[in-house]
Amino acid sequence: MGAPRTLDARASVAWLRRFARTTPGVVSVIAVAVAACCVIAGVVVAAQLDERIAEHDAVLDRSEPFAYAAQNLYVALSAADAAAASAYLASEIQTGPMRARYQKALADAASALADATAGATDVDTRTAMAEISAQLSAYTGLVESARVNNRLGLTVGSAYLREASSLMQTSLLPGAERIYTDNLAAVDEDQRAVESLPTAGLVLLGLVLVAIGVGSVILSRRTNRQFNLGLVVAAAVVLVVIGWIVVATRLAAGSIEDSRTEGTARFEQLAKARILAQQARTDETLQLIARGDITAGEKSFTGHIDDLGTQLGTAPSAAADGVTRWTASHRKQVEVYLGGDYPAAVALAIGTDPGASAAQFVLVETSLHDEIEQTRATLRDRVSAAGAWLAWSPTGTLVLMVVAAAAAVVGLWPRLKEFL
Amino acid sequence: MRVRVVMALLVVALTAAGCGSSSSPPPSVTVVPIEAMPSGAQEATAAPVAESADCGDREASLRPGPQPMPGAMPPGSTMAEIAERGRLIVGVDQNTNPFGFRDPSSGQLEGFDIDVAREIARGIFGDPDRIDPRVVEAGHREAALQSGEVDVVVRTYSITCDRKKTVAFSTTYFNANQKILAVKGSGIDSAAALSGKRVCAATGTTSLKALLALESKPKVFGVTSWTDCLVMLQQGQVDAISTDDAVLAGLAKQDPNVEVVGDSIAVEPYGIGVKKENTDLVRFVNGVLDRMRDDGTWERLYDARLRSFGPSPGPPTPRYQD
Repeated sequence: MGAPRTLDARASVAWLRRFARTTPGVVSVIAVAVAACCVIAGVVVAAQLDERIAEHDAVLDRSEPFAYAAQNLYVALSAADAAAASAYLASEIQTGPMRARYQKALADAASALADATAGATDVDTRTAMAEISAQLSAYTGLVESARVNNRLGLTVGSAYLREASSLMQTSLLPGAERIYTDNLAAVDEDQRAVESLPTAGLVLLGLVLVAIGVGSVILSRRTNRQFNLGLVVAAAVVLVVIGWIVVATRLAAGSIEDSRTEGTARFEQLAKARILAQQARTDETLQLIARGDITAGEKSFTGHIDDLGTQLGTAPSAAADGVTRWTASHRKQVEVYLGGDYPAAVALAIGTDPGASAAQFVLVETSLHDEIEQTRATLRDRVSAAGAWLAWSPTGTLVLMVVAAAAAVVGLWPRLKEFL
Repeated sequence: MRVRVVMALLVVALTAAGCGSSSSPPPSVTVVPIEAMPSGAQEATAAPVAESADCGDREASLRPGPQPMPGAMPPGSTMAEIAERGRLIVGVDQNTNPFGFRDPSSGQLEGFDIDVAREIARGIFGDPDRIDPRVVEAGHREAALQSGEVDVVVRTYSITCDRKKTVAFSTTYFNANQKILAVKGSGIDSAAALSGKRVCAATGTTSLKALLALESKPKVFGVTSWTDCLVMLQQGQVDAISTDDAVLAGLAKQDPNVEVVGDSIAVEPYGIGVKKENTDLVRFVNGVLDRMRDDGTWERLYDARLRSFGPSPGPPTPRYQD
């Protein structure tokens, strides 16, 4: 049943072999091969450029908003704990400004958690988010237990608050910090992916040039003509494509480098500074809640403030000024505490005096927050610019390579027609 | 032939591709339930150090000499240094109702121990308000005295021969009995019933040592403060708490579901801790305690802080070692 067809197939293969050895056959093979190489190279290059655009979208749509949300999450969680601690120090039993601050911090944390979850693609990060979510529910439960017991005048209330704070300081905050740190590495990775050269595509384009060259040599031997215009045009178009790709990716890489130095690096410093400020503030309030020997607490506070100074750098800024005034107020707080005036120390730490620690800390936190917003805008701006350089490159290269293929075929057609 | 082979390969390839696309769902997230515990809570497993030290009568202290008048401390004495500073630094607790606790609404430290410390300040300055309370954890009391961080420790501090090796004690100002606090109807009514149960005590206390030495071998959890024990009991993480009856009564007042049960596991005489070298301060503090016993101050403080736990047993009789 299949025998005749097999015979037919064998016959046609044999005919093709014979035809390929004739001059029209050679011309046809060159035309088909060059056209095919052009189209394949065009598709591969376009796909590679598309990949870079996709990475660029990933930075803008996912990893950067995630990093932003992750550091906001840390700050919101820490602020919630600080508000709860301040309410305790202020013996604020009734609902008051501290409680409003606590509730605001919880709402901020919930928002940041939702934003961050949207950007979490891998199961590990989502698990870390779920842990934070579960711990946060447990945390708020403990804070409310503390509140009820405190209202009843029972000393067990402060034990619930200590338990809540310990959960925050030993589980929630380290977890949030880990998510943030891991994610910042992901932003950097995505940025690097945008700026890398599409090597495979460039190699293929080089091969296309080689194929055109080899085809021209064979053709000139067979037809005694120096150049085939179609092949020359095809080669010129391929060179244009190579030039476009190299220039576009280099320009994009330049923008990405800017986004990393002016954006990511600064963002990282500021976010670290924000976290350190929160940690120093926690040290400060915990000293007063513990109401005992403050040697260890002071060491921790000084360490955090020193690191904060390193992150902020020597350039004058509102945040750096705030840190100076905050540290001065803290020194005074330690002085009066060691001098036995506990209420004065509490007043310096959480009171409403605009020169005291609480107000200065808010100033530091606000200016860091503002600067992070600015840096974020810069980062996104530069990454967007990188995307603009690449935007038309996939379509453009594909169209040009199809043009090159067409030029080769059209240019070779008259040579083939001579034999028909 | 070749065509068939190609067709066959194509079919295999398509089938394989089809298998790949209908694979398992993306991994979903699972997290374990959160079991929060008080900071520092851990099972105490260390075998109790046998009460090796034998110091005769542990409650015997130094006899007071003639008591100086307030504001006229003998030059060169420890009390003169304190008077010079202007305030008495006292190691206290802020979590043990009714001895030393923080009033949640005022933020003030209050309690029987704090009141006793105020009497010492009255003895030195003639002004009971000149105290500077510093919170000292139970396990840190000896170190706080030795380093000079505090002048005296008034913090449910049981007098033991072991502790007397590193610090000095005043005469006994309160006698407590170690008992058990358990949930009503739990069946825990004695030390023997603690077998296999989880029991909580503060780290660095004589109560924890006594629990580890019990015949019934309960599972003992050490925490930082006594209120941490109540939190663990309310969270179902321990079955009972064991320490001095007055402290337990303070905890029982905070939760109507629990009660103090059992006979005395150990007698705990509370003394005021002083740096070992400061013998003049020990004698002075004993003089203050003598005055409190004689002029009715002790009874007044008992009425104010401890009356609800039972009628006054009267101040403990002081014993001196000479």
